[in-house]
Amino acid sequence: MITQMRVKGLIFDPYNNAYIVVLRDEDNSDMLPIWVGKSEASAIGLALESVTAPRPMTHDLMKSFLETFDAKIISVVITDLNENTYFATIHLMYEDSEYTVDSRPSDAIALALRTSAPIFASEKVIKKQSSEELEQWLENLKPEDFGKLDT
Amino acid sequence: MEPVNQNQSPELVALTVKQVLDDGNTDTRIVVLKSEDATVTLPIWVGSAEGNAIRLAMERVVTPRPMSHDLIRSFADHLGVRIERVVITDVKSSTYYASVAFASKGVHRTLDARPSDAIALALRADCPIYATQDVLDRRTAIHLDAWINKLDAKNIEPQQA
Repeated sequence: MITQMRVKGLIFDPYNNAYIVVLRDEDNSDMLPIWVGKSEASAIGLALESVTAPRPMTHDLMKSFLETFDAKIISVVITDLNENTYFATIHLMYEDSEYTVDSRPSDAIALALRTSAPIFASEKVIKKQSSEELEQWLENLKPEDFGKLDT
Repeated sequence: MEPVNQNQSPELVALTVKQVLDDGNTDTRIVVLKSEDATVTLPIWVGSAEGNAIRLAMERVVTPRPMSHDLIRSFADHLGVRIERVVITDVKSSTYYASVAFASKGVHRTLDARPSDAIALALRADCPIYATQDVLDRRTAIHLDAWINKLDAKNIEPQQA
């Protein structure tokens, strides 16, 4: 079972000096926070805001590579989240065959946003990474922690 | 190796990545490229994440999860596309431009890229890195002076032979 998710936002986590990509399902019943590094967050942030960088960023190069060879991204799936190791798969269609490519969720999401491909999360991930963790984190957050994005 | 297209690239000089230095004054890295006979040095400033991507590839570090350039390499492998070579093609107002040449079943395609992505990819694909003679000629003294001035002696890493 997989659930389609949307990227709801990007939050700076001052405690871990990292960013949280917040994914939510269509009816807002499930939330999936994914901790990513600064450069990974920036790749996602640029795509979220539809910013075109003066020079192609890494995921723009990825996208133009796939387009050049007529490979199409069908979907990306967040498949597993462990403490330090996150897993995702990118599903490609190329010359009538489907390929599944192993990826970090941050790359998969950055690419999905640029190619308008749907993002899914496996049931296993949603169960494991319940929104409790994020809610707890949000409760501890102080007002001054906001607005620290793009420091 | 296929012959270099004379029309598109009049004169190419093969370069290797010698080291990635920390620029002590800013949160940037300096990728030092050298010609095979070590007579030509081309320093290119890149962001810290970009520099780290190059460093990981230089040191052949295998990360637990594929990094972004490993993913591009993996796409290429899945699609049967070969990464042929990367070229530092131009420099305009201190910004370097690069291209990555791909080949698949006799089809050759060249994509515009930042030098940092091109180099990170070349090191992972074991393909040659070139700069046009024109770029090397226009590597002005100002750039080199700025480079030397910016470098703090303490930040210079031991030269890797």
